[in-house]
Amino acid sequence: MNKDNQNNDFKTPEGYFESFTERLMGRLSDNPSAHNDLIPKKDGFEVPEGYFEGVNQKILEKLNYSETKVVQLKPFKKYYMAAAAVAAIVTLAFIFNWSASKELSFDNIADSDLENYFENTDLGFSTYELAELIPVDELEYSDMLEGHLDQENVLDYLNDNIDDFEALNLENNE
Amino acid sequence: MIAEKTLVEELQSKETQSRAFEVLVDTYKQRLYWHIRRIVLNHDDADDVLQNTFIKVYKNIGGFKGDSKLFSWMYRIATNEALSFLKSKSKKLGISDGELQDNMINNLQADVYFEGDDIQLNLQKAIATLPEKQKLVFNMKYFEELKYEKMSEILGTSVGALKASYHLAVKKIEEYLKDD
Repeated sequence: MNKDNQNNDFKTPEGYFESFTERLMGRLSDNPSAHNDLIPKKDGFEVPEGYFEGVNQKILEKLNYSETKVVQLKPFKKYYMAAAAVAAIVTLAFIFNWSASKELSFDNIADSDLENYFENTDLGFSTYELAELIPVDELEYSDMLEGHLDQENVLDYLNDNIDDFEALNLENNE
Repeated sequence: MIAEKTLVEELQSKETQSRAFEVLVDTYKQRLYWHIRRIVLNHDDADDVLQNTFIKVYKNIGGFKGDSKLFSWMYRIATNEALSFLKSKSKKLGISDGELQDNMINNLQADVYFEGDDIQLNLQKAIATLPEKQKLVFNMKYFEELKYEKMSEILGTSVGALKASYHLAVKKIEEYLKDD
């Protein structure tokens, strides 16, 4: 090190080069907080003093309370419920037998059901984020179109809507 | 620390159940508390949800098959409990999830158990702007330092999707903090 430094007047703090590799590796490590200065390392949440020592007791008390048996005032209600349950099982069995002929598969799901699912389910990604994640080169324009476009229809459309249809010079590109 | 397999067996046997449950609570209470606290933000709510989580674990341990790790299973219960707690809270107050998040952040300023300064408060505001999944992924990776494989077991999401979520979350939080 002295050899490299002999022609300049600059100095480094003592032990700077000895600890450099270690510090650099620390910054490159998988620890997410190591390479982010903008986001604070601590979140500021605290707990009351002695909370963790006392929480076991609270959990056990709550557990004992929830396990205490409830005395039933009208036990005959049980029979009504049992009868209703049997009726429900019979009805369900009937319905399932009626409709069980089709096996469930992805192809059997209606497009509208899929669309509704994506519309009503929080996937945690916005449209823009999905666009960032899905590689564009795997997509075709036809993936976005609902129906197939006939070449004839495209030509009719261009003919009606473009001022100078001839200038498109379509013949040569066919 | 007692081996997980032995602990599960003891929890499932009537004779050893209560002693094993105490060991379970002792082992996991802090990690689960902080996971829940970062979702519900307030200490009293976190305390409630933590107790309910352990009660659910106790009542359902008989059905635990060991397909996933006990720790991941408990984490999943804690996450679901915390999220449904917030859902029922917003329903009870007759406000949207977004409005509830705003209320939670505003209450944080007066919370005696929040010692954060402006930087930490801004961080919570930034996290509140994220979609639910990104919020979870960010907290679990940044503060709880869980590995993606563990998070994948807990959240039932692929490692690739988790990495994408974390990347997006960090980007959004940084942008929020830069603009502020």
